[in-house]
Parts: sequence; C-alpha cells; structure tokens
Amino acid sequence: MAKEQRGLSRIELLQGTLDLIILQTLRWGPRHGYGLAQMIRANSREALQVDTGSLYPALHRLERSGAIAADWELSENRQRVRVYRLTPAGRKQLAAERSRWDQLSEAIAGILAPPAPEGEA
Amino acid sequence: MTFPWSRRRDRELDEELRAHLRMAVEERVARGERREDAELAARREFGNLGVVQEVTREMRGGGWLERLAQDVRYGVRTLRRSPAFTIVAGLTLALGIGATTAMFTVVHAVLLRPLPYPQADRLVRLAYGPQTSAFDFISAPAIADHQWVEYRRRQRLLARVGASKTLLTTLTGAGDPVQLPGAAVTAGFLETLGIRPTMGRAFSVDDETPGAPPVVLLGDALWRGRFGSNARIVGSDVVLDGIRHIVIGVLPAGFSYPSDAQLWEPLVVKASPNMSISWLLTVVGRLGDGVTPAQVTAELASIARAGPRRGGEAERDTLVARVVPLKDTIVKDATLSLLVFAGAVGLVLLISCANVANLLLMRATSRQREMAVRAALGAGRRRLMRQLVTESAILWLASGAIGAVLAVAGVRALLALAPPGRIPRQDEIGVDTTALAFALGVSLVTGVVFGLAPALRATRSPLRESLAASSRNLSTRDGGVRGVLVVAEVALALILLAGAGLMAQSFLRMRHVELGFRPAGLVTMTVDLPATTYRSATAMHAFNQAMLERLAHMPGATSAAAVNYSPLGTSLIRGDFQLEGGRKPPRDYVVAKLVVTPGYFPTMGIRLLAGREFAAGDAASAPGVVIVSKLVADRIWPGESAVGKRVSMRDRPGAGDWLTVIGVVDDVTQKRLDENREPAMYQPTLQTSQAFFLNHMSFVVRATGDPRSLIPAMRRALKEVDANQAISSIRTMDDTILETVAEPLFQARLIGAFSVFALLLAGIGIYGVIAYSVAERTHEIGIRVALGAGRGNVVRLVLWRILILVIPGLVIGVAGALAATRLLSTLLFAVKPNDPTTFAAVVLLLACVAFVAGLLPARRASRVDPLVALRVGG
Repeated sequence: MAKEQRGLSRIELLQGTLDLIILQTLRWGPRHGYGLAQMIRANSREALQVDTGSLYPALHRLERSGAIAADWELSENRQRVRVYRLTPAGRKQLAAERSRWDQLSEAIAGILAPPAPEGEA
Repeated sequence: MTFPWSRRRDRELDEELRAHLRMAVEERVARGERREDAELAARREFGNLGVVQEVTREMRGGGWLERLAQDVRYGVRTLRRSPAFTIVAGLTLALGIGATTAMFTVVHAVLLRPLPYPQADRLVRLAYGPQTSAFDFISAPAIADHQWVEYRRRQRLLARVGASKTLLTTLTGAGDPVQLPGAAVTAGFLETLGIRPTMGRAFSVDDETPGAPPVVLLGDALWRGRFGSNARIVGSDVVLDGIRHIVIGVLPAGFSYPSDAQLWEPLVVKASPNMSISWLLTVVGRLGDGVTPAQVTAELASIARAGPRRGGEAERDTLVARVVPLKDTIVKDATLSLLVFAGAVGLVLLISCANVANLLLMRATSRQREMAVRAALGAGRRRLMRQLVTESAILWLASGAIGAVLAVAGVRALLALAPPGRIPRQDEIGVDTTALAFALGVSLVTGVVFGLAPALRATRSPLRESLAASSRNLSTRDGGVRGVLVVAEVALALILLAGAGLMAQSFLRMRHVELGFRPAGLVTMTVDLPATTYRSATAMHAFNQAMLERLAHMPGATSAAAVNYSPLGTSLIRGDFQLEGGRKPPRDYVVAKLVVTPGYFPTMGIRLLAGREFAAGDAASAPGVVIVSKLVADRIWPGESAVGKRVSMRDRPGAGDWLTVIGVVDDVTQKRLDENREPAMYQPTLQTSQAFFLNHMSFVVRATGDPRSLIPAMRRALKEVDANQAISSIRTMDDTILETVAEPLFQARLIGAFSVFALLLAGIGIYGVIAYSVAERTHEIGIRVALGAGRGNVVRLVLWRILILVIPGLVIGVAGALAATRLLSTLLFAVKPNDPTTFAAVVLLLACVAFVAGLLPARRASRVDPLVALRVGG
C-alpha cells in the first residue's frame, strides 16, 4: 500500500503538475513546506503523498521564478519556519496552468469515454 | 573562495528541512506514537536529508557561480589531500608546457627568422642561374648589372623592384677606424622592402647619377653605437673609405638587409654591356596584385632572351631565370630543421601528456569508491563530471601558470646556449604565444579527457557493483590503457634519444674532422683594403710586405704569411681554368682560387706532397707559377705527375698567360667543417694584379706559445703600417673552428636537453605504473609471500612486469626512430641515420632507466608483510 502511494507520488513529479498543486494549495493562504505537504495529502484524500525530495526543489524553483515568495516566521510552537505565499505572478501562472490542466483533462476524458458513433460505421 | 550569502542559504535550507522533520515527528507524537517510532517513521518518510538538500540546491539554479565556487573549493581540497599526485602531475604538466614552449620559441626565432617587412610574402628574389649545376640562391645572387638595367626598363609585373650589392666600408673619424658591412642599393630597394627611414630621407634617383654628392643612410645600431644617437646627424659628414659622405637619414632598428648591413649607399649601375667585370646584384621585387612568381619568371626569361649578348658569349642559352620567395633565400634549410625540432617538441609534449594521463587514470581507479558513494548520495552524472573537470582545470591552470613562467626563463636559458651573434634581434624574442597556446590546449584536452574517466565510470557501472567490489578488482580494467601509455612513452623517448645521440655523434665527428692543416697555434688577422686608398696592386703588395716583415719578427711568432681567403673564412673565390694542349677540364669543374705569400704552406701546416712551394723569386717578372691541391692533381692528371704541367686562369689564354704547376699540396677544408675538402689552386700574391684577389687579405701567424698572446702585437703592427686601416677580424684558428661548429653544437645541445627531459618523464611514467601495480597487487604478493615465495621471487615478478612494458616500447621505438631519423640525414655529418652504435647505446640507456625506475617499487614489494597485505586487500 505504502509502496503504491510512493509510486503514485513519483508520477506526480511530472513538472507542472506539482507546480499546479503547490500553487493551488497556496491559494488558501501562506504555508510552510510541511504544512503544504500535509494539506496536499489531506485534500487529495491521502492519494497524493509528495516526496520532500520533490517538494522542496519545486518550492525553491518556483521561488526563483517569482511565482511564490518566502519569509521566515515563527510557528505555533515557536520555531522558525519558512513560509511560502503566492505572488501576483504566481496567481497568473496558476490561472494559466489551471486552464491548461482543464483542457488536458477534458481531452483525456474525451479519449477515455468516446461519444457514441454517429450514423453507420 | 567563499560566498557568505551562499553559506547562509545553505544554512537556511538545512534549517527549513530540519523544521519539516521536527514538525512531522511532533505530529506523530501528538497522534500518540512513541517518540522513537515517530522519529524513525518521519525520517523514513522524509528520505535522505543530504540528497534533498543537494537536489534542492541544484534546483535553485542560477547559482552557477556559487556552484563553481563550491567545485573549486572541493577540487582544491581533494588536490591538497593527495599532494604526491598533485605535485608530480602538476610539475610534469608545467615542465611539459614550459619546456616545449621555450624550445619552440627559440627554434622558431633562430630558424624561421620571420622577415620583418610588411607583406613579406609578396617579396621575391630574382636571378639568372646556371642551367647545368645545382643553383644555390643563398650564396649566388646573380643578376649582372647590364641585365638589371635591361630588366628594370622592361619589366611590368613587379609593383616595385630594387637591386643591391654588399660592401665592406671602413669608417674613420668616429672613434677607432672600423670596418662595417654595408650595402649599395638602388633608389627603389628600400621602398620594395617597405622600409622607411626613421629620420631624414631615403635615396632618390638623383643620388644614383654619376657625380652626385656621396650620401649614406645609417643603420639604427650604428647611429646609436658610433654617433651617440645624435638627433641632428642628418646633414652632417662621415668619412667612409677616406671619402666624405653626407648622412641623409637613419633606418629603423632591426633592419640590416642584405648581409647584416649597417650602412647603405646609393648603387650606381652603369649600363655598359661590354664591361669586363660586371657586378652581381641581389635583386628584390615586390609582386603586384594578382601576379604570381611564375609569371615573373617568364617575364625575366623573355627579357634575358631579348637582351643584348655580352662579350660574344651565348649567355641566354646557359642561364635560366629564377624567381623565389625572399624568405626561402634567407632561411637556409630552416624547414627541415624546424620540422625536426618541432617534432622533438611534439614528442616531449606527447610524453608529458601521456604521463599526466597515466597519473589521472591511476587516480581515477583509487577514486572509484568515492565516486560511487557520491553518485549514491544523489550527485548527478553531470555534477560529478563538472566537479572532476573543475579539478582538472585547477591543476591545469596552476601548471599552466608555472609553465608560462618556466617558458620565459627557458627562452632566456636556451638563448644563452645559442652561438653569440647568430640570432638577430635576440632581445626582442619573447615567448611564442602560439606555441604556448598550443601546449596549454593539448594539456587541457588531456586533463579533461583523462580527468573525466572516473566520473564516466562511476556513473556508467551499476552502483551496487562499484560499492561492493573492492578497488583491487576494478582497477585491472584500465591497467591495459596505462600499459599502452607507458609503452608509447618509452617508444617516444627512444625516438628522441636516438635523434639526440645521432646529433651528438655528428658533432663529435665534425670536431675531429681532418682539416688538412694544423689549427693549433695559429692566429689570423683579416683586413679589407678600401679601393679609395689602395688604388693599385703595387700599393697592396707593399702593404702585405710591410705587414709580414713586422708580423714575422714579433716575439713568440715562428712564421707569418698571407692568404686572400683563409680556411673556414666567410667567403672564397671559385672558378674554372684552362689546360695546355687543347684538353678541356671536366664540365663545370671549379676550384677554389687562392693567392698566398711564400711560406704560407709551412705556416699553416699544409703538407707539400710534390714539387716545391713558392719562393721570394716567384715575383711579377718571373715566369707564372701555380700550386695545385691533391684533388686537382688526381682529377686532371690521374696517374701522372702534375708538376711541370701548364694551366691558365684566362678564358682565352695568350702566350704569356700560362702558369706552370710547381707543386702539389694537401687538400684543405676551405669553408665549413661539414663540407668536404675541396680542390684548390694557389698563386703567389706578387703574380696577381686583380684588385678583388688582393683587397681582402688574411695574415696567418704561427705562435710558439699561446697564439692569443700575439694579438696585441698584431694590432700594433697594423697601426704602424696604416693607422687608418680597420681590422675586419682577428682571432685564433681554434676560435674560428669553435665558431663554425657553434650552430651544430647549439642544435646538439638543444636536442640533448630535450631528450634528457624526455628520459626523465619516461622514468617517472614507468615508476608510476610499476609502483601502482605493486600497490594494486599487495594482496596477491602477500598471499605469495605467505605461501613461501622468497624476496627474489617477488622482485622477479615485478621486474617481469617492467619487461612486459618496456620491451614492446623499445621495439616500437626503434622502428619509429629508424623512420624518423631519416629526416635527420641532411643535418648529420659523417653519421648514418641508422648508426647501430647510437641505437644500441640509446636502447641500453632507456632499458637502464626503466630498470632503475622499477627497482624502487620492486624493493618495496619484496618487503610486503603478508599479514598486513592480506588485511588491506580483503
């Protein structure tokens, strides 16, 4: 079971998809890395478990590209954590990636459930 | 090299990740897990902290500078951790780069002597050469003045053309009288070469008209040396050969064409085709746009055919037009010598690169595990490669810097070995940047290619295998490559050594060549009598007589005599002759024509083989006499006595022009030690009246003790006879011989220094490989010793390995050397390029070096403690 999940999350390493997930998750408010991972897991009903080895590189890459920004803050239990938030540029990127994702999933859905053939074959 | 901001970012990343881990643990604990279980689970879930850090850092990107800094830091650290490797590889590279660059720079400067004229590749020399014999452009500039006048009038293809002839001029009134090489040049000559005076003006056509006031251009060195860089020299007077000349300008530093000229006068060419003596001119032309030398040759030939005939001789049928690039006439044999030395330089560079490659491969083997571990920790293939390239680059940069410094020092050192005065503009010789760039480039490629081996291997082979296997098992794979490199090194070194050995042999034989006279105890003093003060043969005879009286009576002198061109001198008059009785001498047979005073042969120590030598009675009024050398006697009168036969130097001898052979003397090496002794004919000075046979005279004195001690007295003698006369040269015959062998000695030294270096590198290479293979087989040797193998057996085992490497190297090397030394054959004197003694000596020497290089590791192997060895190897 755990193995399968791991395999699943590996697939999600596909660039862009993880970016989309991170950006979308950050829409609900600033989060630190751990919080993000937890939230992704919860929102996907435990289906997606993001590797730290994928999460942090993605976060730092997005930070560098300007889609997200980071600050050091104190957490509830008073330890220093790095908190990421969405920037205006990130919002735009999210919108773009979202529409791309919608197109993609529509297309895939179309392939998986083809409409009934019209007329005679 | 540290970047605080990058350190900070690393720290922050670490903190961020640790916070993540802590939160994960806290949450698990909060859910009720035991702390230990929570920590373990969280850590498992998290994965490898180091890998996450590395991958994230990589992802941050843009930090190429930061990554470079990191790689450099890491590289320096690893290099420092293995100082033996770093020093040996670094020094090999530095020496290789430095030595090859210095060598190439000097060889290039000495041999190629690039012409310092603008667009020098458009410059050509023009001449008519004889149809029959081989034509030597260097010693035979051959356009007669009437041909020149004709050619200049008719030619259309050359953009500019000029003629010159060399002169020797005595400068008086500016310090001691001094004899200077000079040139008479036509108005267009300097323009053709593209040389403009730095001060004053060049010659104009007006200066060439007969009766124009005498003018002169000074060379820069003369102007500085004799006239104290006088800025107002233009317009002042100097006295040349007793005649006042107006200085009209100074030519740029470094210009001394033709023949090391230091001053230039206008060349006045008279167009009379019937002149009995015609000057032979050096003619230089600059090709017009799109004109080829072949076209100019055709034009020159057609002008010769159309031109007037001279003295009834069918000149046009015997002469062939020749046009060659000016460069080819100045640089004699340079292409071959350059090829040989460039080859030597290339060989040494190859050997040092092979050595470094070897060292890098050995190191690669020992770093196999390190690479595997780093790969396992998540360092990507590109990252590993980048790191190793950085490491190679650091090594290369450092060695390159040291190598460049060595090159500068090496150029100085090599120039100090060079014969003095043979290298023009020696001060201006800087390190040849092309050569340096080439050496740096080749070594960089070597460093990168062989430096990358560990990264390629580590990332190609399955991870687990590399980690599990011990280095012992893995290293055998490139043992083969290393062996091949050593074989190549031995072969290359052997080629170089063979070349050096042959050059040394050739030099030794040249030193011991039979000269035909006894040089020890001889001094020669040469003077050139200017035509302006010595107008007649009688005046010259009187001068000789006065000189010889004084020289023969100097204390410490046993005898003195005079000759117009002494052996091993700079020039010589050669010509043909006629035989009595209608018999013709062999076609194209020329002999050296010399005039000597009585007593010349005993003073020089030239053996008289038949007849008698000249006596005081062989004067102008007495019957004409001649002495021939043995080669002449054997060729012209084989099997009979030459004495009593009659010859003439005139083309159409009259009744009074016949000379009787009164004696036969031994042959003498007249010009160069590496040339054969040549046939010669001697006439008494008193029976000679042509000025050009008499105006250059060498006085030879035989001393009882050190000939050098006579030199001051000889100078005084000249001052007494003619205070205005300069000495062209004064030195002992031994010094003259030393000077003639200076160039071959220099070449032998250069290639000798080079081959010692190659030998050293090959030794290092063999040592490295053997030492490594011993270390590699410590385990095996331990087992052998444990099983009862004696020290002798172990040493034999190691030496066997040396033999396996060295014997193929020697065989290939001998084959290569046999092919390569054939190139040397024209540079060698009295040595065959496949001289078996030299080859045997060289093979033996290399074998000894290989043996010594292998002995040290062999001894170490024999002392292996089986217990330690087994533990290490397992």
